[in-house]
Amino acid sequence: MCAECGKVQPASAVQDYFAVFGLPRKLAIDTAGLERSFYKLSRKLHPDVYARASAEEQQWSLEQTSLLNDAYRTLKNPVARTEYLLKLEGKPVASEEQAAQDGKPKDSRAPVDMLEEVFELNMQLEEMRMNRKMGEDDPALRGDLEKARQQFEGQLTALDEELKTQWQQWDAAVDAGATDGAEQVKDKMFALLDRRRYIRNLVRDVNDALGA
Amino acid sequence: MAYSDKVIDHYNNPRNVGQLDKSSETVGTGLVGAPECGDVMRLQIRVNPETQVIEEAKFKTFGCGSAIASSSLATEWVKGKTVEEALQIKNTDIVKELSLPPVKIHCSVLAEDAIRAAIGDWKKKNGVAETEAATQAVAAQ
Repeated sequence: MCAECGKVQPASAVQDYFAVFGLPRKLAIDTAGLERSFYKLSRKLHPDVYARASAEEQQWSLEQTSLLNDAYRTLKNPVARTEYLLKLEGKPVASEEQAAQDGKPKDSRAPVDMLEEVFELNMQLEEMRMNRKMGEDDPALRGDLEKARQQFEGQLTALDEELKTQWQQWDAAVDAGATDGAEQVKDKMFALLDRRRYIRNLVRDVNDALGA
Repeated sequence: MAYSDKVIDHYNNPRNVGQLDKSSETVGTGLVGAPECGDVMRLQIRVNPETQVIEEAKFKTFGCGSAIASSSLATEWVKGKTVEEALQIKNTDIVKELSLPPVKIHCSVLAEDAIRAAIGDWKKKNGVAETEAATQAVAAQ
């Protein structure tokens, strides 16, 4: 949006998703406020508003609306928002494809005790799947897996809390204009997201095996 | 995505699946994983203390077909080699042998890491001086 005439501008003029909403690159976002801004901007930028405008402005309105939708979807989700910020700040969370292109997985390796935990869990999951295939049910195993699921879900909650603590550190760095020195905070968030993905996959696998 | 015939063969008939006694002095265990795809791979070797030849290798991998095939092939390759020879196995050799597509290259990296981790564990247990390659593997853990 042009600040002076209030008309649509090319989407390429917008720097990032935060800028779409006129926000600084801070992570602790008031999502209710974000939603209000989203609806307000949606109404202003909507292609219907520009139905009689020039072809150029119609095109911009379309682009801006699509950008706005992407920006809102990304920023309203705490994990997507953090991933997006890390990408903006030069620390992209690599997808499987990207890791493959680099020829190796990300250098962040899961700690050994966690790998052992995951390995054991996978053994149990395999047994559970076999049982199900045979039409059998082992209540003790099922109980173990349900306990594991609860434990992992608890870990996810704890991770999200820890992520929020890092948000505050990051936001404080933004306020102080010192984001260049905030490498540690970024690394910490990166590691938290990594572990979060791992655990979320485990929860998914456990749910699958339990047939939930 | 289509798997190559060799991947399918290893996937359907994995070699050397199983487990060796982790607490044995002659056994080295490598446990590695890739958080992004949830793969976990355990590779174990039994080394002859006299000759340093890997006489037995077992693996258990939870992951996609390529991860299973990569670790299955890795156990086949390390068997009969000395630990120093086994350290020469590169992930690119595995990629070539299994015709892994780019998106699955990380599976071969994991298998190479598993070999190094297993050898590193065995060396640690037996007080064998670390070579540079093995030190890296331990650091990667």
